[in-house]
Amino acid sequence: MNKSARVVPATAALLVAASLLAGCADDPGGGAAAPASATLNVATMTLPQSLDPKDANGSAMPFFQAVYDTLIKREPDGTYSPMLATEWKYDDKRTELSLTLRGDVKFDDGTPFDAEAVKANMERFREGGGGQAKTLDDVKSIKVVDPTHVTLVLSRPNPALLYYLSDAAGLMANPKDFAKGEALKTKPGGTGPYELDPGQTVIGTKWVFKRAASYWGARLPYDTIAISYFDNETAIVNGIKTGQLNAALIQDADQQISVESDPKVKTVKQEFDFQGVFLFDRAGVVTPELRDPRVRQALNHAIDRQTMLAKIRQGRGVVTSQVFGPATAAYKPELDTYYTFDQAKARALLKEAGHESGFTLKLPRIPAIVSDALAASLQSDLGAVGVKLVWDNLDPGSAVQRIFRDRAYSAMVMNMGQPSADWVAIGEAVLPGAFNMFGYTDDTVKKLLPAIQGRPAQEAAADLEALNEHLVREGWFMPFYRMTYLHVSDGSVTIKPQDGMAVPAIYNYAPAR
Amino acid sequence: MAAFVARRTAAGAFLVLVISFLSYTLLSIPDLDVGRQLLGQNAAQELVDAKNAELGLDRPALVQYLDWLAHAVRGDLGTSWFTSEDVLQAIANRLPVTLSLMVGVTLLTAVVSFLLGVWAGVRRGAVDRFVQIFSVIGYALPNFLVTLVLVLVFAVHLRWFPAIGYVGLGESFPGWLSTIALPVTALSVGAVAGVAQQVRSSVIEVLRQDYVRTLRARGLPPSRIVFRHVLRNASAPALAVLGMQFVGLLGGAVLVEQIFGLPGIGSMTVTYTTRGDIPIIMALVMLTVIGVIAINLVVDILIGWLNPKGRIA
Repeated sequence: MNKSARVVPATAALLVAASLLAGCADDPGGGAAAPASATLNVATMTLPQSLDPKDANGSAMPFFQAVYDTLIKREPDGTYSPMLATEWKYDDKRTELSLTLRGDVKFDDGTPFDAEAVKANMERFREGGGGQAKTLDDVKSIKVVDPTHVTLVLSRPNPALLYYLSDAAGLMANPKDFAKGEALKTKPGGTGPYELDPGQTVIGTKWVFKRAASYWGARLPYDTIAISYFDNETAIVNGIKTGQLNAALIQDADQQISVESDPKVKTVKQEFDFQGVFLFDRAGVVTPELRDPRVRQALNHAIDRQTMLAKIRQGRGVVTSQVFGPATAAYKPELDTYYTFDQAKARALLKEAGHESGFTLKLPRIPAIVSDALAASLQSDLGAVGVKLVWDNLDPGSAVQRIFRDRAYSAMVMNMGQPSADWVAIGEAVLPGAFNMFGYTDDTVKKLLPAIQGRPAQEAAADLEALNEHLVREGWFMPFYRMTYLHVSDGSVTIKPQDGMAVPAIYNYAPAR
Repeated sequence: MAAFVARRTAAGAFLVLVISFLSYTLLSIPDLDVGRQLLGQNAAQELVDAKNAELGLDRPALVQYLDWLAHAVRGDLGTSWFTSEDVLQAIANRLPVTLSLMVGVTLLTAVVSFLLGVWAGVRRGAVDRFVQIFSVIGYALPNFLVTLVLVLVFAVHLRWFPAIGYVGLGESFPGWLSTIALPVTALSVGAVAGVAQQVRSSVIEVLRQDYVRTLRARGLPPSRIVFRHVLRNASAPALAVLGMQFVGLLGGAVLVEQIFGLPGIGSMTVTYTTRGDIPIIMALVMLTVIGVIAINLVVDILIGWLNPKGRIA
């Protein structure tokens, strides 16, 4: 018997058998299929925690918009238009918001959408422990007037409420699913323009949404929307260049340059996130020197924003000294250049504050946010005025704990979105909370906030501008620049950037002509 | 043989248990604050604490581990904390992608490196030098560079292959082949270099043996000597290297899967490990450990079958 001659074929047979076995399982998907005209392939770098509205958060919104509707629709320019609610009106004190609902909308199983559904959804969202649950903190009670009328009673005015109702807090799921435990997490049930196709969806990899047959509202241009998850922009850029992906958001400056080199690729710019240092410790709990506004002003004067923008983002962005974005009423263009690069002035301010010999500032460093170039640049700029910057390298997991629970640092470099609604921005950056963890405030802020809170942003514009100017002058923050993000398509799609979100809403895609 | 397999399997099961305990303990040491990551940086601390309690993270690590183990032995590996998907389903969805890569690379490596190695070992001279140089270059080239160049040239510019994504073998064979061709090639370059070297030196070594000279003296045709006698003796060490490469491929698969946007185990490992998704991480660790044990067992059996001298027990 000739044994050795059998070896190679036998090994090969084993391997082939293994490969056949490997292929027998269902198709794991992967976003590779050639784009059909009726399918939109979108890339995302966001993993939604689930498809239950109570878990909806930030850049995961498009997943939810496919299967759910919000009470109010936020248009790309930030204006509000009817969706499940046709009208909304505040009382004079702005503590009661009356909503008129559509009477002709049904959930997938035929359950009618009505005021009771709104009450059930909002109460569940508020108590559900999700990342956005706090946005309904000011909603004291929800009164059902009749099936198409509901009133939200607030404990105090909240100028951002309409924004929240056009966002996660406004998503409406079928209340019948609430009793089914975790069902909504993977089997969403809403009134939205699409339904999740469980056959083609591989959670964590690719979600496929098919047009809902009997959608009540305006027909969106695509029969199918597939959202594929990627953990790096290199793959996304290659997918866009080869047409395997139709649309994506590119944040990294080098990847933006790479994708722009392809003549077929269409791009739209958007400034959404700004990058800068949040000086949490204005009371000087961790770093006593930061209590003095002159020290915070000195830090702001010490950094060379233009050079940082040029070196770190290849010039893709706009330098700024304020945290409010251009879409807000508080924004003042001249504040973008309030802090000039002036290290002599920085040294003088430090001397005035009694810190001529400098001090040590320890900041947490999460490599995904603070690149080597940024770390080195800040270290050398601050070092030049006598402030010794020490980076504490942290992995993303323990970082949040050290920063937010232990409050171990006096400041932190962050990338943060710039919502168009002033009160949303105030809630994130000014009011006591995660990003004002020491709960710092001052007399000017205390005086301005009530006046701002009780009125719509347009009417409170003067106070908002005053607040913004005060925060900049007092050095509450140390913003660097607003970063330019690039919406890219393979040429087959036009994309409208969405106000208040880095990623476009699901309604903002249309075939290019 | 049966006793050998049984003994190895029992040792393997013990190893799995020990590693599962160590992994869980190690995962519990850094405070990952999963609740905070799930709810976002601006969530209130009470909500974060409630979320951690809901996930059972407020209990001692040992209790958490025993709870996990009790479910795991019944085949219940739980659901992902970060995407709510069933852990077994998540792995079943991604395993074919990575297995396709690993099997493809192993097959290609086996064929190409045996051909090159035998060719170089038997012919020597210029051919040998060519294979030697190829091996050094193949070994020295960084994996990511090979991968990026392949994507840019063959996918983005020439459009011969898709740049990203995966098509299941069950869905379309040509589709499957076209989606794994570039990733498999990228991963094979280094592997071929290593195994071809091993085959070459083994072949040279065996060719020097007395029995080969005897066979030649008896007038056997050279091809028969090489393929029936030399290769059989020379392939055991090469198979051992191939087996180790197969296991090591998981590491290389991480990068290649990321660049090609392949939804496999490699990219999954990175995505979920950095978040601290313990149910998924534990399942991946178990999968890897069991895979390594099984492959080592298969390689040992194969080597024993090839060469009776190598049989253990």
